[in-house]
Amino acid sequence: MAEILSQRLPGPPPPTPMGATFGVDFRSSSHSRSSTSSTTSRSSTPFRGAPASDHHGSSPMNKPKAHSAQSSLSSVKERHVPPQQHLRSQYPANGAENHVEYILVASFDIDRGSVMEHQYPGPISGDENMLAELMLPDQAHMRNQDWTIFFLHKDTTAEDEAREERRDKRRRRRDREAGIVEDVSDGDTQAGADAGDPDADDGEDLGNTDEEEEDELEGPPLIYVLNLVNTKQDNTVKRGAIVKAMAICTRHSFLHIYKPLLLLALEEYFRVPVPETLAHLYHAVNSMDLSLMPRLSQLERHILQASDAKDMFVEKFEQMIKQRMAADRERNSVESSHTENSQIQQQRYMLPRDTHEFESRVYYNNIPVPIKIPTATSPETVGDFSLIKLIQTFSTPHTTAPQPFPLHPHLTTSGPFTHPIIVLVNALLTQKRIIFLGHNQPSGSVAEAVLAACALASGGGILKGFTRHAFPYTDLTKIDDLLKVPGFIAGVTNPAFAHKAEWWDVLCDLPTGRIKISTKIEPAAPSEGVAYFAALNPSGSKHSRGDSHSYSSNPSLTSSSSSSSNPAPTLSTSASFSNISGGSTPADPTGDAHFITYLLDTIASRLGEQALRLKVRAHILRFTRIAAAFEETVYGASALYVGADETDSDAFNYGVAGHGYVWPSEDVKMRELAAHAARVEGWRVTRSYFGCVADLARGFTKSVESSASPINTSGATTPKGAVVAPVGTAGGGGGGGSEIVGVRGLDLRYHIDRLRGLKLGNDQSAAVYTALYTAIETAGIPSPLSSLDDVAPPLTPAEQADLDARRERARYGIILHLLVVTPESQGGLFYLSLGLWHKRPEVRRMVRRVLERVRENEAGRHYWGALGRFAKVGFWRGEEREGG
Amino acid sequence: MGAKVSKMLEKIFGNKEMRLLMLGLDAAGKTTILYNLKLEQDVTTIPTVGFNVETVTYKNTKFNVWDVGGQDKIRPLWRHYFSGTQGLVFVVDSNDRDRMEEAQIELKRIIQDREMKDALLLVFANKQDVPGAMRPDELSRKLKLDEIAKNHLWKVEPSCATTGEGIFEGLEWLGKNVKLPPK
Repeated sequence: MAEILSQRLPGPPPPTPMGATFGVDFRSSSHSRSSTSSTTSRSSTPFRGAPASDHHGSSPMNKPKAHSAQSSLSSVKERHVPPQQHLRSQYPANGAENHVEYILVASFDIDRGSVMEHQYPGPISGDENMLAELMLPDQAHMRNQDWTIFFLHKDTTAEDEAREERRDKRRRRRDREAGIVEDVSDGDTQAGADAGDPDADDGEDLGNTDEEEEDELEGPPLIYVLNLVNTKQDNTVKRGAIVKAMAICTRHSFLHIYKPLLLLALEEYFRVPVPETLAHLYHAVNSMDLSLMPRLSQLERHILQASDAKDMFVEKFEQMIKQRMAADRERNSVESSHTENSQIQQQRYMLPRDTHEFESRVYYNNIPVPIKIPTATSPETVGDFSLIKLIQTFSTPHTTAPQPFPLHPHLTTSGPFTHPIIVLVNALLTQKRIIFLGHNQPSGSVAEAVLAACALASGGGILKGFTRHAFPYTDLTKIDDLLKVPGFIAGVTNPAFAHKAEWWDVLCDLPTGRIKISTKIEPAAPSEGVAYFAALNPSGSKHSRGDSHSYSSNPSLTSSSSSSSNPAPTLSTSASFSNISGGSTPADPTGDAHFITYLLDTIASRLGEQALRLKVRAHILRFTRIAAAFEETVYGASALYVGADETDSDAFNYGVAGHGYVWPSEDVKMRELAAHAARVEGWRVTRSYFGCVADLARGFTKSVESSASPINTSGATTPKGAVVAPVGTAGGGGGGGSEIVGVRGLDLRYHIDRLRGLKLGNDQSAAVYTALYTAIETAGIPSPLSSLDDVAPPLTPAEQADLDARRERARYGIILHLLVVTPESQGGLFYLSLGLWHKRPEVRRMVRRVLERVRENEAGRHYWGALGRFAKVGFWRGEEREGG
Repeated sequence: MGAKVSKMLEKIFGNKEMRLLMLGLDAAGKTTILYNLKLEQDVTTIPTVGFNVETVTYKNTKFNVWDVGGQDKIRPLWRHYFSGTQGLVFVVDSNDRDRMEEAQIELKRIIQDREMKDALLLVFANKQDVPGAMRPDELSRKLKLDEIAKNHLWKVEPSCATTGEGIFEGLEWLGKNVKLPPK
């Protein structure tokens, strides 16, 4: 690599001395093309964006370059990389959006109350007084320092228009590619440009589309505000104190990274209370370079979050650096007059120590402030809250001295002693008005609780619309507006809220750890589903049990009978089975008590916040899948499962049928559905439900569109006609949507769950393994439906390459999807690897091939590595038997 | 069961609980009064952002005292604290003759609110230690208490928040006159 570099490197060292560059804080030049000064200032900092990336990223011109960079790479490492496309940065150096949009300063005036002092770069729209009030939280005078978070819903008309324009452009291009619009004049040049690397472009666009469409569904993105307030006793001023607050307004959900900077800047503002202090901070944070942080697709993000491997997807970081280095070289050769010691710079591109975080730094007043940014973020996860803390706060008092709740069908799903966390989750799912009250606590702690609650119900983005209706910190001044919001989640410190039972449905008191259901809560509306199960089971399906702790000593009969037949030497059978039954037992028909124990065990055994979030995620996903089965049972069809007819009729000839949640028996299923009836019906009228349905529909439409749009290489046909949703090929994507749609016509999660939890006979398991093999091997081959002319013209080399690239990407997507449904917490690939011992040799071969494909996958190799010896022996033995 | 016992004890020992709301213009001395009640010593206070709330027990009565910031911009918020209030403590800076009319208007607005119709009214004629301070009778005339609080039981108590003078006398008057909610 050094060789390659040295060939290209310009000889003379830079004229600018390196040390003199630290003071350059005015970064307004950083987004323009490389001027001499900005380039040199960057060269002193390893992670700052090289100016070359300005003509990087968006234009299709640089695609071939990306490939050459990659080929120089392949000799360096052996690892198999997926079909390479030009990787995009999550935050390109030339991105239109700043990291931070506004800096605000407010103070408490002894005559006028809260007032806004300065706003930079300009006044933020909206009510200035309201903002100032939020920035100076109740009782700010009682403590020296307090953090607050609040959200702004900003009017973004101009941005919407720009977005609309981009979308139009994309649509036109997609149409053209699909051959719908024969725009000859434009098409010619376009086709030429695309020929080099048509897919990289595609991928990027899909990424964008997904995210933007996501926004669209729910309105413009929120602006997150992180606010620091300081109270300083000062005898020289009237009434003895100065209270000032500084806030950072950003679209980044990881706003907590700015905490150290706000501390420094507010201190500075107390000394120098002028707008320039705000400007300094603004330019410093916006010069933070995240351009080497690769953009990940939704599946990739899930996998990264679910993995402990510190080098998961490190290939992508490597490629970002390669691309950057290639761009640097190109720039240097082009701008040969401009000399720069890029060797030094390039040596400073470092791979992250842990790919879960991207390390950068911000220079504020000559102080390098290290910053760590999460690589994989989820919708509805904002700030650095702790779910562990939230769960412990409300679990401990319940464990030591349980108090009965007044019954409400949506909330107390396990009777009066339903666990408070379940009451909270239920309240969130059924869109109740929820208040977190932290009297005498800093406003930061109530904000944290609200953010944690949002993540708890969302399951890391499976359900959405919680943060959008969250008010992490609010006070009495906003009460009239708050009460107009149906179903809010608000954090307050003022105990006056507790006295107003008409203002909330559920009150979560943080100091005492008690949750109250309002006496004035609206009763649950009668619903068809509840009536359906009541008629089915007249003796009453509701188990009002006094003791919610009895389940653990109550082993489920179904679980023991089914799991005993599983040869699972490396796994505890109960853990594996819980994926199927969810722990539902006659004593705990909802499985909620099981879920809570599971959470508390996770906390007690110190598995950490991330492990807990994954469990919450699994629980919420399970809830949506149960809700889908519920709808199908009661209403005949479900909006929560699109394409059920295709999977059930095996429309794409995978040889297996069926979809949805897997229960060990019909009895267990009906019991669990009955227990869920009230809360599912409560959920079915909420924003998060409609959002979930829309996500699913969008995911499915996308898969249909992509399978229906004939690519011009229509010759290839497949006996099976595998049609693959473009999931994982690129870009973000809707929450639950693509999670469930993965491969069209084949419900991977369903079949993996069957392998995991049911005793399938030889034939049935063979069918599952075959379907999986087929899906992976025929990935990306267009449906025979799309071949309009039966006689396929022979493919040109370019077309063949194009097809290969497409297939490779489609396969990459399917394998990622497979990995998402086989998380290591649920045994990973173990149940798949059992197929290595299948009775039929051809099945064993197919399973081995699938595992080979997984092993070659950049994420799959970690899963392969985690697979036990048992499976590996089977794998190698099979290989020997085949004769290598 | 537990609740019954405590109610019995209340009857025997006359324990009462009373919710007080302390309002007044900014810098009248509300927070200083509150912390004098709570800590029985003079504390230096700074402007209240939002509110303070403390519980003080005096002569068998548990007072739940809310002290809400007085800047004119945040006065519209006061109404949110009205419901359930049994006694209004209105604090006036007895030397601030310029703002006496402003105080009168604010007090009228509060005490005539429907939710305050059963509340006792205690006015602290605060800062009596400053020479030239208005005495209670002058203050009650200026505040037009005969007129605006004619449907309320009221009293003006001369006080000095920093020394604590008059504060407990005022509380005692409230404790004696509070009507216990029907049991």
